[in-house]
Amino acid sequence: MLNSLWSRYTRTLSLVLVLLLAIVLELFEVRTSIYGNALPFFEWMRNSFWFGVIGTNYGSFYATVQAVHLLSMAVIGGTVLAADLRLLGVIFRDIPSETLTRGTHKCFRISLTVAIATGIFCAAGVADKVYYMEVFWIKMLVLISGSCFVFLFKQPLLNSRPHDEINPWTLRLLAVTSLLIWFTVAATGRWIGFS
Amino acid sequence: MINELLLQFGQWMEAQQYSQMLVAGYYSYNWVEATHVLSLMMCIGTLFIIDFRMLGLIMPNVPATTIAARLHKPMIIGFVIMFFTGALLVYAKPVETIQSLWFRIKMILLVLAFINAWIFNARMKAADGSWDMDPVAPKTLRVGAIISLVLWCGVVAMGRYIPYDWVDCGRTDNPTILWAAGCVEQLRAL
Repeated sequence: MLNSLWSRYTRTLSLVLVLLLAIVLELFEVRTSIYGNALPFFEWMRNSFWFGVIGTNYGSFYATVQAVHLLSMAVIGGTVLAADLRLLGVIFRDIPSETLTRGTHKCFRISLTVAIATGIFCAAGVADKVYYMEVFWIKMLVLISGSCFVFLFKQPLLNSRPHDEINPWTLRLLAVTSLLIWFTVAATGRWIGFS
Repeated sequence: MINELLLQFGQWMEAQQYSQMLVAGYYSYNWVEATHVLSLMMCIGTLFIIDFRMLGLIMPNVPATTIAARLHKPMIIGFVIMFFTGALLVYAKPVETIQSLWFRIKMILLVLAFINAWIFNARMKAADGSWDMDPVAPKTLRVGAIISLVLWCGVVAMGRYIPYDWVDCGRTDNPTILWAAGCVEQLRAL
């Protein structure tokens, strides 16, 4: 019985297990202990030549990398808006949503890679400051959750079958969740600059 | 002459009560700036999707004009918010912004991006639809898309440079930079 239940609801049960694991980790303060252990890594980043030293001493280079980070976030925003607004039926109603979601996903992947690479460089330059910022850790958690959501849940589900065979409310929920996640990633990223 | 007028205009704005309120309020200024960046994602993100399609880098199986037409509305909404919040950011710190070399270059690039968008649209409307399903757009539109990408990358980069003080009025005595940045008092003192 368990086997048939697992095979029928693999994704749903996996998601429930991940959520339960997150709650357990939170309750036993595993997450906060990881934060504490991460301090030497942040100090290493801040003092390493290719990350922290270049970022601190070459202001114009640092600002240019920040601009590339912002541009890659803009492309993420564009692909997310195009795909998710189609799933919500707001735009591109005359184009199949399968075409839109597959067509924008490659661009999203490349932009996310660039955003993460440039983001690591930007964070390294101020690693001794961002480590103590609550908003930085919120961004990291949302970014990891968002990436897991897209690559382990959203895309596999959207690629698994024609979209008219998926419950429309599931599609809408996917789109709204995705929009909220990437909006939060961008907004918290901007807030790091203010903190 | 133009630099003096711009400085006077900036000083007049800076004396306004709302300008001082906007910059004094930590959250008000930050919210405006955050909204500016988020609307930039909406405007430039959708614009780049159109440009990428023209270059055949994305969704080659979807008609190019359809992508341009469907993304036009979100792009314009994003642009209006970006323009309004950008104007508020200038209003909050008028003298500092008007005397920023990066801000001035950004405005020039914005005007060029507008002219390019206008020519691009006119060419797209003038071209017959036979290329619409081609993986890449005709050469004239591809050139327009590349120019658009370069100009908007420049706009974002200049916007990112504005908070940095490398060439602020008090930090350089190069007459050309002082003139280009509109540093009236520093130029007089030379």
